Amino acid sequence: MSNTKLGLLIFWPTFWTGFPIKLVVVLLLLAAHMHPWEGSGLFFLLLVSIPVDIWALGLCARTVFIDRLKIDPQPGLGPKLWIRWAIFSAVALPVIKIVVSAVTETAKSVVASIIESIKEHIYPTLPVAEQISLELVMWGSVATVALIVCLLGWLYGLGWLAQPFVRNAKPVHGTRDDQVKFWDGLRIPADQPLLLTVFTGTGVVLVFIFWGLMPATTPHPHDEYEYTFEKKEAGIVEPKKVLKETEQVLAKAELVVKKLQEEKGESSEKTLEKNKASMKPKQEDNK
Amino acid sequence: MQAPTQQNAFEKVVEFVDERVGLKTIQAKMLNEPVPGGSRWAYAFGSVLLFIFILQVVTGILLMFYYVPSTDHAYASTQYIIHEVDYGWFLLSYHFWGSSAMVVMVFAHMSQVFLWGAYKKPRELIWLVGLALFGIVMGFGFTGYLLPWDQRAYWATVVGVEIMDKTPLVGDFIARFLKGGPTPGQMTLSRFFVIHVMVLPAALAGLAGLHIFLFRKAGPAGPFRGTPEEIKAKTDYFFPRQVWKDIIAMATVFLIICSLAFIEPVVLLEQATPDPGDYHPEPEWYFLFLFQLLRLKIFGGEFGQFLGAMAIPGAFMAFLAALPFLDTSPERNIFKRPVALIGWTVIMIFILVFTVSAIINREFLD
Amino acid sequence: MQPKLTAKAVCTDKEVGKISKVIVDPLSHEISHVVIREWNGEGTERQVPIGQVQEMVNEEEVILRCSSEDFARFPLLERSQYVGIKEVEIAHLEDHLHVEPGEILVPLPRLEQGVPRRTFFTNMTHAIGTLIALPLIFPVLKYLMKPMYKPYDNAWFPVGNIKKINKENIGFQFKFTRGFKEAFMPEQQIEKNIWVVKATPEVQKAVYGGSDRRFFDDKGEVIWVNKSNSPFIGYSGKCPHLGCGYKWRKTKNFPDGVFLCPCHLSIYDEAGKVIDGPAPRPLDVLPMQIDAGGEIKIIDVEYKAGVNNQVRLL
Repeated sequence: MSNTKLGLLIFWPTFWTGFPIKLVVVLLLLAAHMHPWEGSGLFFLLLVSIPVDIWALGLCARTVFIDRLKIDPQPGLGPKLWIRWAIFSAVALPVIKIVVSAVTETAKSVVASIIESIKEHIYPTLPVAEQISLELVMWGSVATVALIVCLLGWLYGLGWLAQPFVRNAKPVHGTRDDQVKFWDGLRIPADQPLLLTVFTGTGVVLVFIFWGLMPATTPHPHDEYEYTFEKKEAGIVEPKKVLKETEQVLAKAELVVKKLQEEKGESSEKTLEKNKASMKPKQEDNK
Repeated sequence: MQAPTQQNAFEKVVEFVDERVGLKTIQAKMLNEPVPGGSRWAYAFGSVLLFIFILQVVTGILLMFYYVPSTDHAYASTQYIIHEVDYGWFLLSYHFWGSSAMVVMVFAHMSQVFLWGAYKKPRELIWLVGLALFGIVMGFGFTGYLLPWDQRAYWATVVGVEIMDKTPLVGDFIARFLKGGPTPGQMTLSRFFVIHVMVLPAALAGLAGLHIFLFRKAGPAGPFRGTPEEIKAKTDYFFPRQVWKDIIAMATVFLIICSLAFIEPVVLLEQATPDPGDYHPEPEWYFLFLFQLLRLKIFGGEFGQFLGAMAIPGAFMAFLAALPFLDTSPERNIFKRPVALIGWTVIMIFILVFTVSAIINREFLD
Repeated sequence: MQPKLTAKAVCTDKEVGKISKVIVDPLSHEISHVVIREWNGEGTERQVPIGQVQEMVNEEEVILRCSSEDFARFPLLERSQYVGIKEVEIAHLEDHLHVEPGEILVPLPRLEQGVPRRTFFTNMTHAIGTLIALPLIFPVLKYLMKPMYKPYDNAWFPVGNIKKINKENIGFQFKFTRGFKEAFMPEQQIEKNIWVVKATPEVQKAVYGGSDRRFFDDKGEVIWVNKSNSPFIGYSGKCPHLGCGYKWRKTKNFPDGVFLCPCHLSIYDEAGKVIDGPAPRPLDVLPMQIDAGGEIKIIDVEYKAGVNNQVRLL
């Protein structure tokens, strides 16, 4: 079997097997106000992913070997293959990201200049919507091809790393029926009630944790929403109001003072003092 | 016969009902359906759709405990649910993301049926009922979107109804029927509410039942590859195998929707006003490709709008309906049906390109 | 035992044919006739009452009571007068009928053979199904219960002035309006009323029993104390029986006046004690204060109607 096909055949079920379990972890992180795509949330998620992936890889790789290649691998396939895949991907995936980003950026700027020259020479009145779609198709197809090629290369690497295990595996005997029963039987645990109880018990505990963590009111409240109960007593709004009112009062007072100063020279000072004295109680009232 | 003295209370109740209703026979018939070639994850989309629908009904009913469908209170009651009722934000956000998930799953399910050639004889009727279900799901999305009565809701609906107005002959009638008048207002909200909450759910439940009944009558189509011995060796029953795969898929989708509810909870814009102001109207994301299509110059003008909004989509839906009768070759292997494969790929790319274009276009508007 | 189809039919003297059909009574679900197809050339079918069947030797043979001559006189089957059970729905018929020559079987798939596999997937499916439904229970319950237990509103409302009260031990009604805001609804103004009595010391003793009356908030903190010697007593305008508005009336039996509820005729004296009627407890005393100018203020407390104890609602 070709490397790429082998890589894909093993990777695809492994990913989807681990996915629901990781989703549970993601949901718990989100309930705890953490972001699983950054910081400590991401670290925790990756940490939990390791045993999950090792288990999933072992199970799915063995299934593929038995079902498609009619061979039974040596024990310990999961951790051994995972280590190789992890190291390889840790190098390959960032490289792919850099390559694809570079290709995309280049394609975008090339396409942009192409469109510019089209608009200058051939079709000056190219409308916006058409331009957007045209550009998108042009650089999008280049970027997609680059991405697909890179991914195929990565899968090739995964398959290549799995080949030694293929060579070391023993053939599986029996009829078609027996083979199907064999890999199907891998999924049944020896002690069913124990597994079921542990699984359900863990699930219930996680649900209780989820209930404890999740916020009862929205984590993204609307800016202008006014709560019907006194959640924010005299909240943010009032100090501004108070300041405004005080400013207005002071401004009015100043005008009055100026007028009086013009009219009567000396008595204005007394009025000023009076106004200041009467303003202070008002400020206290407002607060 | 088992010794009756061994039965506990539960088993006695079951025996009582079974004697009168034939419960065990019904259960056996429903669950012991052989799936040729074995249960598959690819077959799970239909069950997942049913699961999403049930949860939408549950969350929808819960929302109705507090939501008021009048223009005076629709916005305030929705905000109340989000900000004050315990976990109201979560239930509303689940309902919102659940509707998006439903559209995605509908596309996945239709694609799976198409690629597996499971619309061909004798399954033509299932396909037709499925297309009707697709239309109902789109109707759900469209009617539900209006209910919060914020700017986004109001203007997406206005634009959508205006598009329907372009239908020849009946367009004006349809638009007035939906709006409940010449302009959108309370009548519109009431009509959309009834359609969303009573009419469409009843229609969906009825047609889904028919869809499943016809499916059971025709039997699962099974894989398009494999010798009869291989298929027979891998055949298992609906229960527990396919149900197991279905429930894992349901659990995964459930977790995804919950996560989305946490990552992007529903936040309303300001209350709807007749003046859009700075707001640029936009429909829900699954209508964006059509929205962008109508921005192209070839669809300008009255005839152009009709062409882009009604004629082409209508022709495409008509083509899909006619598909089982046009494609009569019994070949179901997608790799031996190049026209079908290329056609599907082109359509998917087309939708993707125009959806992304619509998103890029937003920056141009600002 | 019931006869099997295709079993041979033997009269007293010889074999005459085989059972080709049975006729069942649709009400009693019992076989009424067997139809025997004769061995003669035409294969005529005759209807034979079940009573004629003497015994069934085994599944392959039944013995009839009659001779072959008598057998030839049995009526021919008129097929048009009957329908097959595939064409008509008779409930539970198959439960009583066991005449088939054999069942129709289909093979059980290989993967379904093996109980451990089936039960594992069955149980895991149930477990996961429960775990999907479970997270919703708590949020949904809290969601639905949100408006059910509101905190008490302990605001003071002015209701009028004591100058209006000119006599002791007589009920005087004071009406007031208060704002009422429900969730997101705009605030409404509702009218309520209370009854105030200027009490003599005997009435005060009857109401308070010599000790101060404390009022609490939902945390159990005291928010107000009515002194036992306060001259003015305010009663909630709602009758403790079922919440109707009662009145102060002079009647033939009580010429000085009593509190009389028109709904179910509960009668209370000026101290709020139940004189007659279905009321479960005396009139509810309100937290009340009177300022220097004689303005009466009360906290608008409502108690649950129809119970012996005071259970505060608002």
